[in-house]
Amino acid sequence: MLEILIFGAVTSAIYAMLAVGFTLIFGVARILNLAHGSFYALGAYGAYVLTTLFNVPLIVAAPLVVIGVALFGMVVERVLIRPMRKSQLAVLMISLAISLVVEQALFLTFGSEYRNVPSFIEQKYVIGGVDVAGQRLLTLLVSVVSIGGLYLFIQKTRLGSAILAISQDPEAAQYMGIPSDRIFGVVMAMSAGLAALAGIMAGPFLSVQPSMHLLPIVKAFAIVVVGGLGSIPGSIVAALMLGYAETLVAYGISTSWTEIVSVAATLLMLVLRPAGFFGKRAAF
Amino acid sequence: MQLKNIDRGGAFLALSLMAVLPLIFDSTYLMGVLTVAAIYGIWSVSWDFMSGLTGRENFGHSLFIGVGAYAAGFLNTTWGANAWWSLPAGMLAAVVFALIMGIPTLRLKGPYFALAMLSGAVIMQRLMLIFWEYTGGEEGINGIEPLIRSPLYFYWFVLGMLVLTTALLGGLARSRWGLILKAIRGDEATCQAAGLNVTYYKIASLVISAAFAGMGGALYAHYQLQVSPQLFAVVTSITIITMVYVGGMSTIYGAIGGALLLTLMTEMLRDFGEWRLMIYSVALILILFFLPQGLVAPTWKKIRDRLAGGRP
Repeated sequence: MLEILIFGAVTSAIYAMLAVGFTLIFGVARILNLAHGSFYALGAYGAYVLTTLFNVPLIVAAPLVVIGVALFGMVVERVLIRPMRKSQLAVLMISLAISLVVEQALFLTFGSEYRNVPSFIEQKYVIGGVDVAGQRLLTLLVSVVSIGGLYLFIQKTRLGSAILAISQDPEAAQYMGIPSDRIFGVVMAMSAGLAALAGIMAGPFLSVQPSMHLLPIVKAFAIVVVGGLGSIPGSIVAALMLGYAETLVAYGISTSWTEIVSVAATLLMLVLRPAGFFGKRAAF
Repeated sequence: MQLKNIDRGGAFLALSLMAVLPLIFDSTYLMGVLTVAAIYGIWSVSWDFMSGLTGRENFGHSLFIGVGAYAAGFLNTTWGANAWWSLPAGMLAAVVFALIMGIPTLRLKGPYFALAMLSGAVIMQRLMLIFWEYTGGEEGINGIEPLIRSPLYFYWFVLGMLVLTTALLGGLARSRWGLILKAIRGDEATCQAAGLNVTYYKIASLVISAAFAGMGGALYAHYQLQVSPQLFAVVTSITIITMVYVGGMSTIYGAIGGALLLTLMTEMLRDFGEWRLMIYSVALILILFFLPQGLVAPTWKKIRDRLAGGRP
């Protein structure tokens, strides 16, 4: 029972980091970014390259990678996605193409073998008789802190208010003199950075290989559908739901069936309540 | 000459050229390439019928292809059915999946359909690996019987299926039906206001598209004589989408040109083996930016206008 509680929380934490960024860039810029999983993959590979090949300590490598991926996200948004923003389908196409370019680039440089990303903490802890790797607990902490920080940033700072304003009414925001194009770049960078952080944290206990970007997109999409497109509280709640649902299925039935949960949840939700639980409200 | 006759002449010429090429060169290698190109043609045409006409892009066409191929594989090996049952079985299996995916997602506006199809294909590929006791895992199903023993006759059969698919779907696209689908792409709300059951048309066109994709999957299974989870891969869908974009969206015949062009290009780039998918993805980005109308269909239109003697 306690096992389910802890492992479900860790899974949910990773999903939340992925889904919040995915929903943020949609809520603000109406960009459905299929390259979101690539940022996650680049985070894991970045940590691998810096620590294993260049012997940089992980504590230094992690912020470098997050900043690097955030910049990469900004460039991708500026060069490839922005010219296509008129059409949502073109954005989907171009971001999917980007994700495949990244996948192929990773494949051509590192091959298809699994890579090991080092953990921050190797130690194991025993909580109420359950063995938990320290890395998992740290992931939970990092997720709570980073999403909390993002929330405070949006609520308390000037830039945050601008982001909020655009998500509520893009035209009115622009009339008030908010440079929306520049804000989109910033939001894209935050979303990419968060995904990269998730990749660094989850890398040690998940499989790191070139096509690893696909499942996160599937999960993020399921979460965003359940929570409501563009809603951050919705995606946090839905991440918890999906994380625990998968853990319950893994313990109750078999780990084989966990992958079905996300697609079943997506389809069921689209039938029952397409707007998602938090869909009708404003983005935050 | 009339434009219609030029179109027919061009189609006839291209078809006869494709049919006699293996006779002229007599190489099994070329025949294999052309067979694959024709199967990709079926897939691209079926993709273009739904997504090109209604503007609802399907990012998981590989789901229907894979389901069709696996249905053929199971039927032929596990249950020992005659190979000819594979084609209807592949179509039926794909139709079932089209209904499962289409009914919840196509009622809605927004990107739900595109993303749900992508998710569906990714998860199916995972399931094929997870339930390896039944599906053969990474290896897939081996030992599928050929549909027709002679590679040449099989190639002609596939070519015939391509012609049939194109004739049926192209005919539908030019009919009142296709007009409605194009109208849905233009303005869904107006169509609804005009009393059209938009959801019905979208789901029906997905079902038709899936049926032909599933048939193509079954053909592919009987060509490769094995099926593997790789059929479900996102790159399969992307390859097809790239082919349609190269050919020119919503023209149906353009998709065949795109399929031929890209398959032949891939063969010429064989030395770059590992770079193939990279080249595809970059090509797709470049086409989206610089040739949104595609390559094959606009070129053909220019040739046709020239032949028609400068008439617009």
